[in-house]
Amino acid sequence: MDYQVILIENNRVMLERLSTVIQRTKGFSLVARYQRAGDALGQGAVFKPHIILLDIDVGENRGLIHEFAEAFQNAAILCISNHWDSDGASEVVKAGAKGYLIKPFSSEELVDAVGTFGKSGMAFGSKSLAFFSPKGKSGKTTLIANLALSLAQKSGEPVGIIDADLQFGDMAVFFNLTPKSTIVEATRDIKFLSPITLNSYFVPVPEMENLRVLCGTRKPEYAELVNIQSFEEMVRMALSLYRYVLIDLPPGFNPISVAAAELATKTYMIAMMSGGFELVHMRRAIEIFKAWPDFKTRLGTILTRVSPCNSAERKRLESILEYPISAILPNEYILVSAAANKGRMAVDIQPNTELSININKLSDDIIGLQGMRW
Amino acid sequence: MEEGRRGSIIDVFSTASAVGKTLIGINMAAELSSQGYDVCLADVDLQFGDICNYLHLMPERTIADAARAVKEAPESFDAREFLDVYRCDDISFSVLAAPIRLDEAYNIEATSVQNILQNLQFNFDFVVVDTTSAFSEINLMVMDMSTIITFLGIVDFIPTIKNMKIGCDTIRGLGYEDSKIRLVLNRSNSQTKIELGDVEKLLGDHFYHVLPNDFEAARDSIMTGVPLVHTRNTALAGAMRELVARYTNQAVEQVPEKRGGGVSSWLGRFFN
Repeated sequence: MDYQVILIENNRVMLERLSTVIQRTKGFSLVARYQRAGDALGQGAVFKPHIILLDIDVGENRGLIHEFAEAFQNAAILCISNHWDSDGASEVVKAGAKGYLIKPFSSEELVDAVGTFGKSGMAFGSKSLAFFSPKGKSGKTTLIANLALSLAQKSGEPVGIIDADLQFGDMAVFFNLTPKSTIVEATRDIKFLSPITLNSYFVPVPEMENLRVLCGTRKPEYAELVNIQSFEEMVRMALSLYRYVLIDLPPGFNPISVAAAELATKTYMIAMMSGGFELVHMRRAIEIFKAWPDFKTRLGTILTRVSPCNSAERKRLESILEYPISAILPNEYILVSAAANKGRMAVDIQPNTELSININKLSDDIIGLQGMRW
Repeated sequence: MEEGRRGSIIDVFSTASAVGKTLIGINMAAELSSQGYDVCLADVDLQFGDICNYLHLMPERTIADAARAVKEAPESFDAREFLDVYRCDDISFSVLAAPIRLDEAYNIEATSVQNILQNLQFNFDFVVVDTTSAFSEINLMVMDMSTIITFLGIVDFIPTIKNMKIGCDTIRGLGYEDSKIRLVLNRSNSQTKIELGDVEKLLGDHFYHVLPNDFEAARDSIMTGVPLVHTRNTALAGAMRELVARYTNQAVEQVPEKRGGGVSSWLGRFFN
């Protein structure tokens, strides 16, 4: 059976235009259309709609979303608007809408929107996780790739990775992906995107339908094309698509890593134990984050290649850092590099290693975190 | 700015982190100084520079102070007022330390670093510059000023090699003379199965110099704060001295042919 659609659109010309799109979309039937939301509320029930497209450019319609959700309990309410507004989108989802679509939309976008939002609705209470390292070679990308896979498997919810290590992002190599679009195009186009169209910039990970990756730049010089404000907007929009957004960052304090940390629900600082001065660098970097009044909850720390990887060593390291450690990971160089060389993940290939167990533990902690309004 | 002879700048750069830039920079400076040259080692890894950590120096003045001074009074600026000295037997060289505070590091402008390095060039035969692993504004400026760019690589796993390839191509795209860029491989502690020859084919160039794997000696040097070249008996120290000798034209140069041709397919597929 087709999806029964009710369209509410105040603008007469737009109403005609969108009606035509819906009528021409395979699998969709337009059962009723209104210019006034009040008419739809009073009359729409007889049509037993599955989908209600509600024009929220009319201010008072936003206030009616809750009534629509009550009156049409078997229908998904998708808000339609001329532009994307992440604060507004957050509110309409709180009020009971399932998704947000930019008008005018095409048949493909309508189908995608229903496919993306139809089952679970737009992500709500989403979490963004920024991964910061003072210096490079921290084991950060390996951790993010494995953690994302673990989060996707354990939660069953959509997970997105943003590779914002602008010059030397490795996420595409880790997952063996060949992206058609990258963070450069996504931030360039963000003004014209809605969550549905942004989703297509993220590349799906094969055999893992709820994990997608926005890959890094193809050449280091493209890093300059990524505007910080557009990046911030893009992350906020991604939060409406994915329950967990993991952001890989270039080492050190720079405009993009600072912006991501400011924006994120939680920032993890990562370093690899390599017999150098990594703990000294971490202590200095932690001092910077102490400018946040809530740094104790917002900043986590992770150490990789910890040997021996046990609680005594963790306590010893915590006393040096003078800061709690969120997770320690053992040295699994051979396993991780063999997996990465094949475009596979260690948690997937060998779920019973200490590395996998510790990553899964961290993902349980993250699933338990309080989400944020986006 | 003064007239006269300007010393060489040797930039130690890489696109992968933790490949041994600092250790190699320190040893270059040490070896050049033991040959009798006036040497300054400048830490331009501004946020997390390790030179003073490795050499156990507690600097009182840093590049941040120098940057403030050169901005306030460029005419009377003398970089020598902001240096520390490292001494160990016949080794003695100056050190321009990385900033102590991160906020100082974050706010240093590329032009200030440029003016400081120019000033150092008038006072030293060699200025060895340790950098971060990125094409940042400061690093590009250092590359422009450099006599030689030591592009340090490591044969680790695929992502590192990808970044080495991208870095190599990007530097070549900057339009420098081929002779300015020296590809040096640090074998480091690599446990890889990837063949050196395959990597050379991929990069389209031979490594100018290969440093052998001697993790123990490198770690000891970092722990004790004594440059490797000071203890004359390790293979790694020998190879470092050889590299410096080639830079100072004391060794016979062998000009390698350009590489090209097929890379074994499993490695090649990442770079199509």
